Amino acid sequence: MQLDSILFYLFAVQILFSALMTITRRNVVYSAVWLISTLVGVAGIYLLQGAEFLAGVQIILYIGGITVLFLFVIMLVPVSEESKQRRFSSQLWIVLIVAVLLTGELGYFLWQGADSFQMGEPTPPAEIGTVTTNSEQIGQVLFSEYLLPFELASILLLVAMIGAVVMAKARPGAE
Amino acid sequence: MPRGYIPILIFLVLAFAFPVVTILVAKLVRPSAPGKTKLEAYECGIPSDADTRGRYSIRFYLVAILFVVFDVETIFLIPWAIQYNVLGLFGLIEMLVFLAILIVGYIWIFRQGALKWV
Amino acid sequence: MPVTHYLVLSMALLIIGTVGVLTRRNIIVILMSIELILNAVNINLVAFSDYLQNINGQVFTIFVITDAAAEAAVGLGILIALFRNKETVHADEIDILRW
Repeated sequence: MQLDSILFYLFAVQILFSALMTITRRNVVYSAVWLISTLVGVAGIYLLQGAEFLAGVQIILYIGGITVLFLFVIMLVPVSEESKQRRFSSQLWIVLIVAVLLTGELGYFLWQGADSFQMGEPTPPAEIGTVTTNSEQIGQVLFSEYLLPFELASILLLVAMIGAVVMAKARPGAE
Repeated sequence: MPRGYIPILIFLVLAFAFPVVTILVAKLVRPSAPGKTKLEAYECGIPSDADTRGRYSIRFYLVAILFVVFDVETIFLIPWAIQYNVLGLFGLIEMLVFLAILIVGYIWIFRQGALKWV
Repeated sequence: MPVTHYLVLSMALLIIGTVGVLTRRNIIVILMSIELILNAVNINLVAFSDYLQNINGQVFTIFVITDAAAEAAVGLGILIALFRNKETVHADEIDILRW
């Protein structure tokens, strides 16, 4: 399908350019805004692959929740003085080595394993009458097969909530 | 991409194009005469006395944390609500356990006074 | 779309995220780079979920996003505690184990 390819490349360019901008901007607020752009691109990729529920989750949770959290923390530290300082750490050589190694390793596996991805024709989409929607499928699997991870997720969230409040709350008498 | 998203795509493109086009057209059409007086506060406006990117109170962060945690909860509630008829009583109990664990955390935070807006 | 394209995109995003984690001094940007890495993983999971017509990959992605939310909340909480004590957000200035 031609339109899908064009959209994929548009989203891919958007994601990679925004990601590069995220890690190179001097001002942290700009980084956060470029991060939002990256996340929107990823949501578009999810839509292209038919993962409609995840595209919604990406926008509601990542962009509406996590990025807002980042922005609030940025507001807590003085940005204008901070952005005048040195951006990068002094270990650029190690970074270069790690990046080259990582690229080589992943590229090698992709190149070598390219044949193993041809697992015959992917199953054709089911008939319109029988297919359930993406959200229904997720609900069905999430609440039967993934029962234990689901309950554990609530404990994870409980711990995260308590941990974050304990860390962030000022000690009595500090303010 | 599912067929039904084409109108949304067109709408998005238009929504992004509209401000860009209007700003560009306005820039081309308007006369440009920047001046120092134009940047001052208008009439009885108060002159600003600090940087816009000032530091906020920590309480905003605590509220944002709670928002994110209950946002995640909503993400789990939506597929459950869609599949409620299929999942039945077992699903209801499952979700009640999930909610109970999170509400324990909410009560703890409330008792700690982290939400108190002094 | 062949699934390999998605894998290459995911790989590029992962490398950008890794470079961000290793190079930047500001801890907030390091946390953002970690989000980039998690997104790269999610693209991979969803790509295979679509290719194999198996919904498990998407369910797993929900759990990864949940973890990302928890990680961001706790990580930024630690950052705030650190900033309150040391008045810095730079990773290379926090180089002692106790004070």
